[in-house]
Amino acid sequence: MNAIEVQGLHKRYGDTVAVDDVGFDVDEGEIMGILGSNGAGKTTTVEMIAGVRRPDRGTANVLGLNPTADTAALRQILGMQLQESHLHASLTVTELVRLYASFYPDPADVPRLIESVGLSEKSKTRFEKLSGGQQQRLSIALALVGKPRVVILDELTTGLDPQARRRIWALVEELKTEGVTIVLVSHLMEEVERLCDRVTLIDAGTVVATTTPSGLIARAALAQNVTFRVSGTFDRAVFAGVAGIDDVEVDDETVTVTGEGDLLQTVGSTLVSAGVVVTETRLHQPTLDDAFVALTGRRLDENSEEAA
Amino acid sequence: MTATVAPTRHRPGPRSWSLLVVSELKMVIRDTSGLVIPIALPVLIMVMNGIGTGSEVLPNGLTVFDVYLMPLVLTMIVATIGVINMPSFLSYYRKAGILKRLSVTPANPLMILVAQVITSVIQTLVGLTLAMAIALTVFDANLPTSLWTAVGVFALSAVAMYAVGMLIAALSPTPNATIAIGLIAFFVMGAAGGMFGTIDGFPEPVRAVGEALPFGASVQAMSTAWAGETPELKHVIALLVAIVVSAVVAGRYFRWQ
Repeated sequence: MNAIEVQGLHKRYGDTVAVDDVGFDVDEGEIMGILGSNGAGKTTTVEMIAGVRRPDRGTANVLGLNPTADTAALRQILGMQLQESHLHASLTVTELVRLYASFYPDPADVPRLIESVGLSEKSKTRFEKLSGGQQQRLSIALALVGKPRVVILDELTTGLDPQARRRIWALVEELKTEGVTIVLVSHLMEEVERLCDRVTLIDAGTVVATTTPSGLIARAALAQNVTFRVSGTFDRAVFAGVAGIDDVEVDDETVTVTGEGDLLQTVGSTLVSAGVVVTETRLHQPTLDDAFVALTGRRLDENSEEAA
Repeated sequence: MTATVAPTRHRPGPRSWSLLVVSELKMVIRDTSGLVIPIALPVLIMVMNGIGTGSEVLPNGLTVFDVYLMPLVLTMIVATIGVINMPSFLSYYRKAGILKRLSVTPANPLMILVAQVITSVIQTLVGLTLAMAIALTVFDANLPTSLWTAVGVFALSAVAMYAVGMLIAALSPTPNATIAIGLIAFFVMGAAGGMFGTIDGFPEPVRAVGEALPFGASVQAMSTAWAGETPELKHVIALLVAIVVSAVVAGRYFRWQ
Protein backbone atom coordinates (compact mmCIF):
# COMPACT_ATOMS: atom_id res chain seq x y z
CA MET A 1 0.00 0.00 0.00
CA ASN A 2 1.29 3.43 -0.91
CA ALA A 3 1.04 6.10 1.72
CA ILE A 4 2.06 8.83 -0.71
CA GLU A 5 1.59 9.02 -4.46
CA VAL A 6 3.09 11.91 -6.41
CA GLN A 7 2.55 12.37 -10.15
CA GLY A 8 3.80 14.99 -12.57
CA LEU A 9 4.26 17.79 -10.03
CA HIS A 10 5.21 21.08 -11.65
CA LYS A 11 5.86 24.44 -10.02
CA ARG A 12 7.07 27.65 -11.57
CA TYR A 13 8.06 30.89 -9.83
CA GLY A 14 7.97 33.65 -12.42
CA ASP A 15 10.33 32.54 -15.17
CA THR A 16 12.01 29.93 -13.02
CA VAL A 17 10.81 26.35 -13.13
CA ALA A 18 11.55 25.06 -9.62
CA VAL A 19 9.95 21.65 -10.07
CA ASP A 20 9.48 20.44 -13.62
CA ASP A 21 8.07 16.93 -13.46
CA VAL A 22 8.35 15.01 -10.21
CA GLY A 23 6.64 11.71 -9.47
CA PHE A 24 7.24 8.89 -6.99
CA ASP A 25 5.41 6.63 -4.55
CA VAL A 26 6.17 6.02 -0.90
CA ASP A 27 5.06 2.80 0.78
CA GLU A 28 3.34 2.91 4.12
CA GLY A 29 6.00 2.72 6.82
CA GLU A 30 8.79 3.43 4.39
CA ILE A 31 11.51 6.05 4.73
CA MET A 32 11.92 7.81 1.39
CA GLY A 33 14.93 10.06 0.95
CA ILE A 34 14.68 13.08 -1.32
CA LEU A 35 18.14 13.74 -2.58
CA GLY A 36 19.48 16.57 -4.69
CA SER A 37 21.83 19.53 -4.75
CA ASN A 38 20.79 22.94 -3.45
CA GLY A 39 18.07 24.41 -5.63
CA ALA A 40 17.19 21.08 -7.24
CA GLY A 41 13.55 21.49 -6.17
CA LYS A 42 13.51 19.22 -3.09
CA THR A 43 11.91 21.67 -0.67
CA THR A 44 9.35 22.89 -3.21
CA THR A 45 8.42 19.25 -3.90
CA VAL A 46 7.82 18.33 -0.25
CA GLU A 47 6.00 21.62 0.38
CA MET A 48 3.56 20.69 -2.39
CA ILE A 49 3.07 17.26 -0.81
CA ALA A 50 2.41 18.96 2.53
CA GLY A 51 -0.12 21.35 1.00
CA VAL A 52 2.01 24.40 1.79
CA ARG A 53 2.36 25.24 -1.89
CA ARG A 54 -0.12 24.61 -4.66
CA PRO A 55 1.34 22.80 -7.70
CA ASP A 56 0.77 24.37 -11.12
CA ARG A 57 0.25 20.89 -12.54
CA GLY A 58 0.28 17.33 -11.28
CA THR A 59 -1.16 15.64 -8.21
CA ALA A 60 -0.09 14.45 -4.82
CA ASN A 61 -2.03 12.05 -2.64
CA VAL A 62 -1.23 11.48 1.02
CA LEU A 63 -3.18 8.63 2.67
CA GLY A 64 -6.02 9.29 0.25
CA LEU A 65 -6.04 13.03 0.85
CA ASN A 66 -5.43 15.70 -1.75
CA PRO A 67 -3.08 18.21 -0.08
CA THR A 68 -4.64 21.15 -1.91
CA ALA A 69 -8.29 20.26 -1.33
CA ASP A 70 -8.19 18.32 1.95
CA THR A 71 -5.65 20.53 3.71
CA ALA A 72 -7.49 20.60 7.05
CA ALA A 73 -7.68 16.79 7.22
CA LEU A 74 -4.07 16.47 6.07
CA ARG A 75 -2.87 18.69 8.94
CA GLN A 76 -4.19 16.11 11.43
CA ILE A 77 -2.08 13.25 10.12
CA LEU A 78 0.98 14.92 8.61
CA GLY A 79 3.81 16.37 10.66
CA MET A 80 6.24 18.70 9.00
CA GLN A 81 9.59 20.08 9.99
CA LEU A 82 10.37 23.22 8.03
CA GLN A 83 13.80 24.38 7.10
CA GLU A 84 14.79 27.54 9.01
CA SER A 85 11.63 28.18 10.91
CA HIS A 86 11.69 30.13 14.14
CA LEU A 87 9.26 29.98 17.02
CA HIS A 88 8.03 32.45 19.64
CA ALA A 89 11.39 33.79 20.81
CA SER A 90 10.63 34.23 24.49
CA LEU A 91 8.67 31.03 25.12
CA THR A 92 10.43 28.04 26.66
CA VAL A 93 10.84 24.59 25.14
CA THR A 94 8.07 23.12 27.30
CA GLU A 95 5.73 26.05 26.65
CA LEU A 96 6.19 25.70 22.90
CA VAL A 97 5.75 21.93 22.79
CA ARG A 98 2.66 22.20 25.00
CA LEU A 99 1.22 24.94 22.77
CA TYR A 100 1.71 22.91 19.59
CA ALA A 101 0.44 19.76 21.32
CA SER A 102 -2.82 21.56 22.04
CA PHE A 103 -3.52 21.84 18.29
CA TYR A 104 -3.92 18.05 17.90
CA PRO A 105 -6.66 15.66 19.06
CA ASP A 106 -4.30 13.03 20.48
CA PRO A 107 -0.88 14.60 21.03
CA ALA A 108 2.33 12.94 22.17
CA ASP A 109 3.37 13.07 25.83
CA VAL A 110 5.14 16.42 26.16
CA PRO A 111 7.99 15.58 28.60
CA ARG A 112 8.69 12.27 26.85
CA LEU A 113 8.85 13.95 23.46
CA ILE A 114 11.26 16.58 24.79
CA GLU A 115 13.36 13.77 26.26
CA SER A 116 13.39 11.89 22.94
CA VAL A 117 15.08 14.81 21.16
CA GLY A 118 17.49 15.28 24.06
CA LEU A 119 16.19 18.62 25.30
CA SER A 120 15.08 17.66 28.83
CA GLU A 121 17.80 19.77 30.41
CA LYS A 122 16.75 22.73 28.28
CA SER A 123 13.01 22.37 28.87
CA LYS A 124 12.81 25.67 30.79
CA THR A 125 15.07 27.55 28.37
CA ARG A 126 13.60 30.16 26.07
CA PHE A 127 13.72 29.47 22.34
CA GLU A 128 15.97 32.51 21.73
CA LYS A 129 18.56 31.14 24.19
CA LEU A 130 18.84 27.75 22.47
CA SER A 131 21.76 26.96 20.16
CA GLY A 132 21.03 26.39 16.49
CA GLY A 133 21.21 22.63 16.95
CA GLN A 134 18.86 22.74 19.95
CA GLN A 135 16.37 24.86 18.00
CA GLN A 136 16.57 22.29 15.22
CA ARG A 137 15.83 19.45 17.65
CA LEU A 138 12.85 21.38 19.05
CA SER A 139 11.59 21.85 15.51
CA ILE A 140 11.79 18.05 15.01
CA ALA A 141 9.86 17.51 18.24
CA LEU A 142 7.10 19.85 17.01
CA ALA A 143 6.85 17.89 13.75
CA LEU A 144 6.13 14.77 15.82
CA VAL A 145 3.92 16.26 18.54
CA GLY A 146 0.64 15.37 16.81
CA LYS A 147 1.59 11.66 16.51
CA PRO A 148 1.51 11.97 12.71
CA ARG A 149 1.18 9.00 10.34
CA VAL A 150 3.27 10.78 7.73
CA VAL A 151 6.26 12.96 8.59
CA ILE A 152 8.18 15.27 6.28
CA LEU A 153 11.61 16.19 7.57
CA ASP A 154 13.48 18.88 5.63
CA GLU A 155 17.23 18.92 6.27
CA LEU A 156 16.71 16.94 9.45
CA THR A 157 20.16 17.11 11.00
CA THR A 158 21.64 20.26 9.47
CA GLY A 159 23.57 22.08 12.17
CA LEU A 160 23.58 19.17 14.62
CA ASP A 161 26.75 17.85 16.20
CA PRO A 162 27.54 14.17 15.50
CA GLN A 163 26.17 12.98 18.83
CA ALA A 164 22.84 14.80 18.44
CA ARG A 165 22.69 13.61 14.86
CA ARG A 166 22.92 9.96 15.91
CA ARG A 167 20.26 10.53 18.52
CA ILE A 168 17.88 11.98 15.94
CA TRP A 169 18.64 9.12 13.56
CA ALA A 170 17.71 6.66 16.28
CA LEU A 171 14.49 8.59 16.82
CA VAL A 172 13.64 8.36 13.11
CA GLU A 173 14.35 4.62 13.14
CA GLU A 174 12.01 4.28 16.11
CA LEU A 175 9.28 6.13 14.21
CA LYS A 176 9.70 3.68 11.36
CA THR A 177 9.17 0.71 13.69
CA GLU A 178 5.92 2.38 14.73
CA GLY A 179 4.82 2.30 11.08
CA VAL A 180 5.16 6.04 10.41
CA THR A 181 5.81 6.95 6.77
CA ILE A 182 8.70 9.36 6.47
CA VAL A 183 9.89 11.64 3.68
CA LEU A 184 13.40 12.81 4.42
CA VAL A 185 14.98 15.66 2.48
CA SER A 186 18.72 15.44 2.84
CA HIS A 187 22.03 16.00 1.24
CA LEU A 188 23.94 14.04 3.87
CA MET A 189 24.93 10.73 2.33
CA GLU A 190 25.63 9.02 5.61
CA GLU A 191 22.13 9.91 6.78
CA VAL A 192 20.48 8.67 3.60
CA GLU A 193 22.43 5.40 3.57
CA ARG A 194 21.62 4.70 7.18
CA LEU A 195 17.94 5.67 7.27
CA CYS A 196 16.36 5.50 3.85
CA ASP A 197 14.70 2.43 2.38
CA ARG A 198 14.64 4.14 -0.98
CA VAL A 199 15.77 7.46 -2.38
CA THR A 200 14.40 9.74 -5.06
CA LEU A 201 17.18 11.64 -6.74
CA ILE A 202 16.00 15.03 -8.03
CA ASP A 203 18.09 17.21 -10.29
CA ALA A 204 16.98 20.47 -11.95
CA GLY A 205 13.36 19.81 -11.00
CA THR A 206 13.09 16.30 -12.43
CA VAL A 207 13.48 12.83 -10.98
CA VAL A 208 16.69 11.18 -12.09
CA ALA A 209 16.06 7.90 -10.28
CA THR A 210 13.96 6.34 -7.52
CA THR A 211 15.62 3.26 -6.07
CA THR A 212 17.36 1.90 -2.99
CA PRO A 213 20.58 3.61 -1.88
CA SER A 214 22.61 0.61 -3.09
CA GLY A 215 20.52 0.50 -6.28
CA LEU A 216 21.48 4.11 -6.91
CA ILE A 217 25.15 3.20 -6.61
CA ALA A 218 24.68 0.21 -8.92
CA ARG A 219 22.80 2.38 -11.39
CA ALA A 220 25.69 4.82 -11.60
CA ALA A 221 27.73 1.78 -12.75
CA LEU A 222 30.81 2.92 -10.97
CA ALA A 223 33.59 0.40 -10.72
CA GLN A 224 35.17 -0.50 -7.43
CA ASN A 225 38.93 -0.59 -7.16
CA VAL A 226 41.68 -1.94 -4.94
CA THR A 227 44.89 -0.04 -4.38
CA PHE A 228 48.11 -1.32 -2.87
CA ARG A 229 51.76 -0.32 -2.67
CA VAL A 230 54.73 -2.34 -3.78
CA SER A 231 58.44 -1.77 -3.31
CA GLY A 232 60.26 -1.50 -6.59
CA THR A 233 58.58 -2.00 -9.92
CA PHE A 234 55.36 -3.94 -10.40
CA ASP A 235 54.77 -6.21 -13.35
CA ARG A 236 51.18 -5.74 -14.46
CA ALA A 237 51.34 -9.10 -16.24
CA VAL A 238 50.58 -10.64 -12.83
CA PHE A 239 46.90 -9.79 -13.45
CA ALA A 240 46.85 -10.79 -17.12
CA GLY A 241 43.91 -13.03 -17.85
CA VAL A 242 42.55 -13.04 -14.29
CA ALA A 243 38.75 -13.15 -14.29
CA GLY A 244 37.02 -10.11 -12.73
CA ILE A 245 39.89 -7.71 -13.37
CA ASP A 246 39.13 -4.90 -15.80
CA ASP A 247 42.08 -2.58 -15.57
CA VAL A 248 45.40 -2.20 -13.84
CA GLU A 249 47.11 1.16 -13.40
CA VAL A 250 50.65 1.50 -12.10
CA ASP A 251 51.76 4.89 -10.80
CA ASP A 252 55.30 4.58 -9.47
CA GLU A 253 54.89 2.21 -6.49
CA THR A 254 51.09 2.56 -6.21
CA VAL A 255 48.93 0.09 -8.10
CA THR A 256 45.19 0.55 -8.73
CA VAL A 257 43.18 -2.47 -9.87
CA THR A 258 39.64 -1.98 -11.17
CA GLY A 259 37.22 -4.87 -11.47
CA GLU A 260 34.02 -6.66 -10.49
CA GLY A 261 32.78 -9.18 -7.97
CA ASP A 262 34.73 -9.85 -4.81
CA LEU A 263 37.61 -7.75 -6.02
CA LEU A 264 39.59 -7.71 -2.79
CA GLN A 265 39.61 -11.51 -2.69
CA THR A 266 40.55 -11.81 -6.39
CA VAL A 267 43.44 -9.35 -6.07
CA GLY A 268 44.68 -10.92 -2.82
CA SER A 269 44.78 -14.48 -4.08
CA THR A 270 46.38 -13.45 -7.39
CA LEU A 271 49.15 -11.58 -5.58
CA VAL A 272 49.76 -14.45 -3.14
CA SER A 273 50.02 -17.04 -5.89
CA ALA A 274 52.40 -14.74 -7.82
CA GLY A 275 54.45 -14.31 -4.66
CA VAL A 276 54.20 -10.49 -4.71
CA VAL A 277 54.44 -8.76 -1.32
CA VAL A 278 52.30 -5.65 -1.07
CA THR A 279 51.34 -3.15 1.67
CA GLU A 280 48.49 -0.72 2.35
CA THR A 281 45.89 -2.73 0.47
CA ARG A 282 42.62 -0.83 0.32
CA LEU A 283 39.24 -1.46 -1.26
CA HIS A 284 37.44 1.62 -2.60
CA GLN A 285 33.76 1.07 -3.19
CA PRO A 286 31.71 3.81 -4.83
CA THR A 287 29.67 5.79 -2.34
CA LEU A 288 26.31 7.41 -2.74
CA ASP A 289 28.27 10.64 -3.18
CA ASP A 290 30.11 9.18 -6.17
CA ALA A 291 26.84 7.90 -7.58
CA PHE A 292 25.28 11.32 -7.20
CA VAL A 293 28.12 12.99 -9.09
CA ALA A 294 27.99 10.33 -11.80
CA LEU A 295 24.22 10.62 -12.26
CA THR A 296 23.83 14.39 -12.14
CA GLY A 297 27.25 15.77 -13.01
CA ARG A 298 27.17 17.85 -9.84
CA ARG A 299 28.31 17.49 -6.30
CA LEU A 300 25.63 17.38 -3.64
CA ASP A 301 26.71 20.59 -1.94
CA GLU A 302 26.89 22.40 -5.26
CA ASN A 303 24.18 24.86 -6.32
CA SER A 304 22.34 23.93 -9.46
CA GLU A 305 21.39 26.68 -11.91
CA GLU A 306 17.74 26.57 -10.96
CA ALA A 307 17.04 28.54 -7.82
CA ALA A 308 14.72 26.98 -5.28
CA MET B 1 -3.89 2.20 -4.52
CA THR B 2 -3.02 4.35 -1.58
CA ALA B 3 -3.68 3.68 2.03
CA THR B 4 -6.38 6.02 3.20
CA VAL B 5 -7.31 7.71 6.39
CA ALA B 6 -10.72 8.63 7.72
CA PRO B 7 -10.94 12.39 7.34
CA THR B 8 -11.22 14.08 10.70
CA ARG B 9 -12.25 17.64 11.23
CA HIS B 10 -10.68 18.27 14.59
CA ARG B 11 -10.19 21.96 15.26
CA PRO B 12 -7.98 23.35 17.99
CA GLY B 13 -10.25 23.89 20.97
CA PRO B 14 -10.53 26.27 23.94
CA ARG B 15 -7.29 24.91 25.38
CA SER B 16 -5.40 25.95 22.23
CA TRP B 17 -6.97 29.37 22.33
CA SER B 18 -6.13 29.98 25.97
CA LEU B 19 -2.58 28.68 25.50
CA LEU B 20 -2.12 30.93 22.48
CA VAL B 21 -3.38 34.00 24.34
CA VAL B 22 -1.15 33.14 27.33
CA SER B 23 1.76 32.69 24.90
CA GLU B 24 1.15 36.10 23.38
CA LEU B 25 0.90 37.68 26.84
CA LYS B 26 4.17 36.05 27.87
CA MET B 27 5.80 37.37 24.69
CA VAL B 28 4.64 40.89 25.56
CA ILE B 29 5.59 40.69 29.24
CA ARG B 30 8.99 39.10 28.59
CA ASP B 31 9.73 41.72 25.95
CA THR B 32 9.98 44.45 28.60
CA SER B 33 9.76 47.40 26.22
CA GLY B 34 6.44 45.97 25.07
CA LEU B 35 5.03 46.89 28.47
CA VAL B 36 7.00 50.06 29.16
CA ILE B 37 5.96 51.99 26.07
CA PRO B 38 2.19 51.51 26.11
CA ILE B 39 1.66 51.63 29.85
CA ALA B 40 4.51 53.45 31.58
CA LEU B 41 4.97 56.21 29.00
CA PRO B 42 1.38 57.54 29.01
CA VAL B 43 1.23 57.31 32.81
CA LEU B 44 4.52 59.21 33.09
CA ILE B 45 3.17 61.96 30.81
CA MET B 46 0.00 62.10 32.88
CA VAL B 47 1.93 62.41 36.15
CA MET B 48 4.34 65.05 34.89
CA ASN B 49 1.52 67.17 33.44
CA GLY B 50 -0.67 66.55 36.46
CA ILE B 51 1.97 67.91 38.81
CA GLY B 52 1.99 71.09 36.70
CA THR B 53 -1.01 73.06 35.56
CA GLY B 54 -3.66 70.39 35.44
CA SER B 55 -5.83 71.41 38.37
CA GLU B 56 -7.02 74.68 36.86
CA VAL B 57 -10.83 74.57 37.05
CA LEU B 58 -12.85 75.39 33.96
CA PRO B 59 -16.31 77.05 33.99
CA ASN B 60 -18.08 73.68 33.73
CA GLY B 61 -16.51 72.41 36.96
CA LEU B 62 -14.05 70.11 35.21
CA THR B 63 -10.31 70.66 35.17
CA VAL B 64 -7.80 71.02 32.37
CA PHE B 65 -6.53 67.64 33.58
CA ASP B 66 -9.92 66.08 32.85
CA VAL B 67 -10.70 67.67 29.53
CA TYR B 68 -7.30 67.84 27.87
CA LEU B 69 -4.89 65.49 29.59
CA MET B 70 -7.03 62.39 30.19
CA PRO B 71 -8.20 62.12 26.55
CA LEU B 72 -4.59 62.51 25.46
CA VAL B 73 -3.24 59.90 27.86
CA LEU B 74 -5.93 57.34 27.03
CA THR B 75 -5.42 57.91 23.30
CA MET B 76 -1.68 57.40 23.75
CA ILE B 77 -2.32 54.03 25.40
CA VAL B 78 -4.40 52.69 22.52
CA ALA B 79 -2.11 54.27 19.92
CA THR B 80 1.12 52.79 21.32
CA ILE B 81 -0.43 49.33 21.64
CA GLY B 82 -2.17 49.40 18.28
CA VAL B 83 0.29 51.27 16.11
CA ILE B 84 3.69 50.38 17.63
CA ASN B 85 3.42 47.13 19.60
CA MET B 86 1.03 44.86 17.77
CA PRO B 87 2.44 45.34 14.26
CA SER B 88 5.98 44.73 15.50
CA PHE B 89 4.92 41.33 16.88
CA LEU B 90 3.00 40.37 13.75
CA SER B 91 5.85 41.43 11.51
CA TYR B 92 8.33 39.42 13.57
CA TYR B 93 6.07 36.36 13.47
CA ARG B 94 5.87 36.56 9.71
CA LYS B 95 9.58 37.23 9.17
CA ALA B 96 10.64 34.47 11.53
CA GLY B 97 8.40 31.93 9.83
CA ILE B 98 6.17 31.45 12.87
CA LEU B 99 3.02 32.06 10.83
CA LYS B 100 4.22 29.53 8.25
CA ARG B 101 5.06 27.05 11.00
CA LEU B 102 1.54 27.38 12.41
CA SER B 103 0.07 26.94 8.94
CA VAL B 104 1.39 23.35 8.78
CA THR B 105 -0.44 22.45 12.01
CA PRO B 106 -4.22 22.15 12.47
CA ALA B 107 -4.09 25.70 13.87
CA ASN B 108 -4.91 28.50 11.49
CA PRO B 109 -2.40 31.37 11.53
CA LEU B 110 -5.47 33.58 11.83
CA MET B 111 -5.66 32.31 15.43
CA ILE B 112 -2.47 34.16 16.24
CA LEU B 113 -3.98 37.39 14.90
CA VAL B 114 -7.00 36.93 17.12
CA ALA B 115 -4.78 36.04 20.08
CA GLN B 116 -2.76 39.22 19.44
CA VAL B 117 -5.93 41.30 19.43
CA ILE B 118 -7.08 39.70 22.71
CA THR B 119 -3.63 40.37 24.16
CA SER B 120 -3.83 43.97 23.01
CA VAL B 121 -7.26 44.35 24.59
CA ILE B 122 -5.90 43.00 27.89
CA GLN B 123 -2.93 45.38 27.68
CA THR B 124 -5.29 48.24 26.91
CA LEU B 125 -7.49 47.43 29.90
CA VAL B 126 -4.45 47.22 32.18
CA GLY B 127 -3.20 50.59 30.89
CA LEU B 128 -6.66 52.13 31.19
CA THR B 129 -7.17 50.83 34.73
CA LEU B 130 -3.76 52.03 35.89
CA ALA B 131 -4.17 55.46 34.31
CA MET B 132 -7.71 55.93 35.69
CA ALA B 133 -6.70 54.73 39.15
CA ILE B 134 -3.83 57.20 39.39
CA ALA B 135 -5.91 60.00 37.87
CA LEU B 136 -8.81 59.48 40.26
CA THR B 137 -6.85 58.91 43.45
CA VAL B 138 -3.76 61.11 43.04
CA PHE B 139 -5.05 63.93 40.86
CA ASP B 140 -8.71 64.03 41.91
CA ALA B 141 -9.76 63.74 38.29
CA ASN B 142 -13.44 63.55 37.39
CA LEU B 143 -14.97 60.71 35.44
CA PRO B 144 -16.26 61.72 32.01
CA THR B 145 -19.57 63.58 32.31
CA SER B 146 -20.94 61.42 29.47
CA LEU B 147 -19.39 58.20 30.73
CA TRP B 148 -20.82 55.79 28.16
CA THR B 149 -20.09 58.12 25.29
CA ALA B 150 -16.48 58.27 26.48
CA VAL B 151 -16.34 54.47 26.74
CA GLY B 152 -17.72 54.18 23.21
CA VAL B 153 -15.21 56.70 21.83
CA PHE B 154 -12.38 54.91 23.65
CA ALA B 155 -13.39 51.56 22.14
CA LEU B 156 -13.77 53.09 18.68
CA SER B 157 -10.34 54.73 18.99
CA ALA B 158 -8.78 51.43 20.06
CA VAL B 159 -10.23 49.65 17.02
CA ALA B 160 -9.02 52.47 14.76
CA MET B 161 -5.48 52.24 16.17
CA TYR B 162 -5.41 48.41 15.75
CA ALA B 163 -6.61 48.84 12.18
CA VAL B 164 -3.80 51.29 11.46
CA GLY B 165 -1.41 48.79 13.10
CA MET B 166 -2.66 46.00 10.83
CA LEU B 167 -2.14 48.31 7.86
CA ILE B 168 1.47 48.93 8.94
CA ALA B 169 2.08 45.20 9.47
CA ALA B 170 0.62 44.46 6.05
CA LEU B 171 2.65 47.02 4.12
CA SER B 172 6.07 47.05 5.80
CA PRO B 173 8.69 44.70 4.39
CA THR B 174 10.71 43.82 7.52
CA PRO B 175 10.28 43.79 11.33
CA ASN B 176 12.68 46.74 11.66
CA ALA B 177 10.75 48.73 9.09
CA THR B 178 7.56 47.92 10.97
CA ILE B 179 8.89 49.39 14.22
CA ALA B 180 10.23 52.46 12.40
CA ILE B 181 7.00 53.03 10.48
CA GLY B 182 4.97 52.45 13.65
CA LEU B 183 7.01 55.01 15.60
CA ILE B 184 6.83 57.56 12.79
CA ALA B 185 3.08 57.07 12.40
CA PHE B 186 2.63 57.41 16.16
CA PHE B 187 4.65 60.61 16.45
CA VAL B 188 3.25 62.25 13.29
CA MET B 189 -0.37 61.49 14.26
CA GLY B 190 0.39 62.42 17.85
CA ALA B 191 2.14 65.70 17.05
CA ALA B 192 -0.66 66.76 14.68
CA GLY B 193 -3.24 65.58 17.18
CA GLY B 194 -2.02 67.56 20.18
CA MET B 195 0.42 65.24 21.95
CA PHE B 196 2.97 68.03 22.40
CA GLY B 197 0.56 70.83 23.29
CA THR B 198 -3.02 71.74 22.47
CA ILE B 199 -3.95 72.08 18.84
CA ASP B 200 -5.60 75.45 19.41
CA GLY B 201 -2.50 77.33 18.31
CA PHE B 202 -1.93 75.26 15.15
CA PRO B 203 -2.42 76.79 11.68
CA GLU B 204 -5.80 75.75 10.32
CA PRO B 205 -4.57 73.19 7.71
CA VAL B 206 -2.35 71.38 10.24
CA ARG B 207 -5.17 71.35 12.73
CA ALA B 208 -7.60 69.97 10.15
CA VAL B 209 -5.22 67.17 9.18
CA GLY B 210 -4.49 66.37 12.83
CA GLU B 211 -8.20 66.07 13.63
CA ALA B 212 -8.81 63.91 10.58
CA LEU B 213 -6.16 61.39 11.67
CA PRO B 214 -7.26 58.85 14.31
CA PHE B 215 -5.07 60.25 17.11
CA GLY B 216 -6.43 63.80 16.93
CA ALA B 217 -9.97 62.61 16.28
CA SER B 218 -9.77 60.35 19.33
CA VAL B 219 -8.46 63.13 21.60
CA GLN B 220 -11.10 65.61 20.43
CA ALA B 221 -14.03 63.17 20.62
CA MET B 222 -13.01 61.95 24.06
CA SER B 223 -12.53 65.51 25.27
CA THR B 224 -16.07 66.46 24.30
CA ALA B 225 -17.41 63.32 25.97
CA TRP B 226 -15.52 64.24 29.14
CA ALA B 227 -17.12 67.67 29.04
CA GLY B 228 -20.54 66.07 28.64
CA GLU B 229 -21.08 67.21 25.08
CA THR B 230 -21.82 65.11 22.00
CA PRO B 231 -18.65 64.39 19.98
CA GLU B 232 -18.50 66.15 16.63
CA LEU B 233 -19.58 64.00 13.72
CA LYS B 234 -16.36 64.69 11.79
CA HIS B 235 -14.26 63.07 14.53
CA VAL B 236 -16.42 59.95 14.66
CA ILE B 237 -16.34 59.75 10.85
CA ALA B 238 -12.55 60.19 10.88
CA LEU B 239 -12.22 57.17 13.21
CA LEU B 240 -14.62 55.07 11.11
CA VAL B 241 -12.80 55.98 7.89
CA ALA B 242 -9.46 55.00 9.47
CA ILE B 243 -10.93 51.63 10.43
CA VAL B 244 -12.49 50.85 7.06
CA VAL B 245 -9.63 52.07 4.87
CA SER B 246 -6.95 50.37 7.00
CA ALA B 247 -8.86 47.09 7.21
CA VAL B 248 -9.52 46.96 3.47
CA VAL B 249 -5.93 47.76 2.50
CA ALA B 250 -4.47 45.46 5.18
CA GLY B 251 -6.76 42.63 4.08
CA ARG B 252 -5.63 43.15 0.50
CA TYR B 253 -1.88 43.22 1.18
CA PHE B 254 -1.28 41.13 4.29
CA ARG B 255 1.09 38.24 3.60
CA TRP B 256 1.42 35.18 5.80
CA GLN B 257 4.98 34.48 4.70
